[in-house]
Amino acid sequence: MIKAENISKSFKDGKVRVLKEVSLEIQKGEFVVITGASGSGKSTLMSVLSGLERADEGKVFYGEEEITLMTDKQLTEFRRRAVGFIFQQYYLLSHLSVDKNVKMGADLASNKDYLEIIEKVGLYEKLKSRPAELSGGEQQRVCIARALAKKPEVLFLDEPTGALDEATGRSVLEYIAKLQREQGFTMIMVTHNLNIADMADTVIKMNSGKIAEVYKNVAPKTAYEIGW
Amino acid sequence: MLVSFKDSLKLIGISVISFCAVFVCTFFLNFYLDAKSLDGTLTDPNLIALYDAQMATAKFVCAVSGGFLGLIAFIMLVFYIKLYIDKNACNIGILKAMGYSERKIALKFSMFGLSVLPGTVLGFGCGFAIMPTVYDGLTIDGLPEIAISFYPSLLFLLVFLPSVVFSILSSLYAYIALRRPVSELMKGKSEKIKRIKPRKEKERSFLKEMFFKTLSDKKALAFFVAFACFCFSTMVQMGASMYDMSTALMGVIIFAIGVVLAVTTILMAATTLVNGNIKNISIMKAFGYSMKECALTVLGGYHIFAFIGFAVGSVYQYGLLTLMVNLIFKDVAGVPEYSFDVPIFFATLAAFIVFYEAVMLFFAYRIKNISVKEVMAET
Repeated sequence: MIKAENISKSFKDGKVRVLKEVSLEIQKGEFVVITGASGSGKSTLMSVLSGLERADEGKVFYGEEEITLMTDKQLTEFRRRAVGFIFQQYYLLSHLSVDKNVKMGADLASNKDYLEIIEKVGLYEKLKSRPAELSGGEQQRVCIARALAKKPEVLFLDEPTGALDEATGRSVLEYIAKLQREQGFTMIMVTHNLNIADMADTVIKMNSGKIAEVYKNVAPKTAYEIGW
Repeated sequence: MLVSFKDSLKLIGISVISFCAVFVCTFFLNFYLDAKSLDGTLTDPNLIALYDAQMATAKFVCAVSGGFLGLIAFIMLVFYIKLYIDKNACNIGILKAMGYSERKIALKFSMFGLSVLPGTVLGFGCGFAIMPTVYDGLTIDGLPEIAISFYPSLLFLLVFLPSVVFSILSSLYAYIALRRPVSELMKGKSEKIKRIKPRKEKERSFLKEMFFKTLSDKKALAFFVAFACFCFSTMVQMGASMYDMSTALMGVIIFAIGVVLAVTTILMAATTLVNGNIKNISIMKAFGYSMKECALTVLGGYHIFAFIGFAVGSVYQYGLLTLMVNLIFKDVAGVPEYSFDVPIFFATLAAFIVFYEAVMLFFAYRIKNISVKEVMAET
């Protein structure tokens, strides 16, 4: 379970307060969508929850473990062990081929079966291609494979379909959701696309650095059922 | 538009190298031209031999330092332009799409060539300022006093001509490098993507793969690291040897130039390396790779080149001094015999290890401070 207590975060020497005493709880194996307008603090919340950034105030717990008390070294070790990321801009290593990019995640979990994951995301034929030779959808699938090869307990996704067209976006979302259901990891997705929220178990709506609304979907939809 | 004067200021490494080259050439060439007036006036055979040796030394030093450092400055310039085009490929693509010709864009790169000007101006000025002391040291006992003259042709040759030549070369290189399809440039592809040929390859860990790939993708930097360590090794050992063989001033000048060149080049290489890999490092950090793993992957591959540079530098300085003593000064009486100085070698090696590891530690610390979130927010 992930638990955040009164997290606050400011930028520009405290002049811009992005998160204002945010508290939340996320259950193990849950699919959570954090949504809100630009500047609402959703991406910063994701960064703080994932240990990419430190909160100015407040506490974040992963089970009994408080990550806000960790040193930089411990936080690195925590990210190595517990979390995976999928970013809107992919952030693939441009000079390495598809398999080597996925190996980046696999090696952290001593995962020898990373080629199977590449096969599962449908990129086995492009094992030796470089990111620049792939389409946007293919690059995002490499990101998914890289994140999953790490066997994360929690997968963070920052606007994973932001750079994709509708058809590719739907197929990528459906694929991630399917894997999440099969493998049971916790998934926290940040998006401004309200339609995607219909796929989640829990939706957290952010507004001006605060949680404006939290609700649960009784019957989450598939990626092909939601609007776009 | 695109290339500003501010951009050319980043080429401080080239300015420093051009400073060193012009600084040395200024007083040696000036001395050579001034001393040339003594041609045919000397009668003592010993004095003639010494005079000839000194004139040969002046020519030799100018050719070696001027030519070699000039070439290094040019390689560095080309390297910078390539990096700049890589970084700004998208913007260049937009300009080309809007109708700006390659020639017009390439002309803007002449600004980069001007980066040698501050170095040459300062080098010439400092060379002239130090000239009375150098003349005192170089003038042989028994020779008439050599007066310092000013040669406008030397000013043109050492200060303005390099700037003009480097500016033209910058534009020419940029023109060649810019000849890529607009679509490729706009996608940020500054060079043709090399398809990885399917081949049997060793199953390496990600870190090893990243280590070798970074090294093979940034081969030019291996050259600069080796060059920096070569300079350190050569100049520091030569400076210490010259202290015994020639004047203390020459020893100090050579020593100082060696250290300045080594520091500038290695800082330039390591900065380029870290900046060029900043996104890779940040994503590795996000995934949980430690600072040590990131630093080793990005910087570790260059250790071997550093030590190769040092070793070659040791051999080179030994060869150069042996050549000077046995060839140029062979007819001159009283020149001390030269042999490889083992204590100086080990002292320089120790200083080199401290110097190199300090630089690597500094950049490892920089890697530690790379903010994952900031790098990602920038893109």
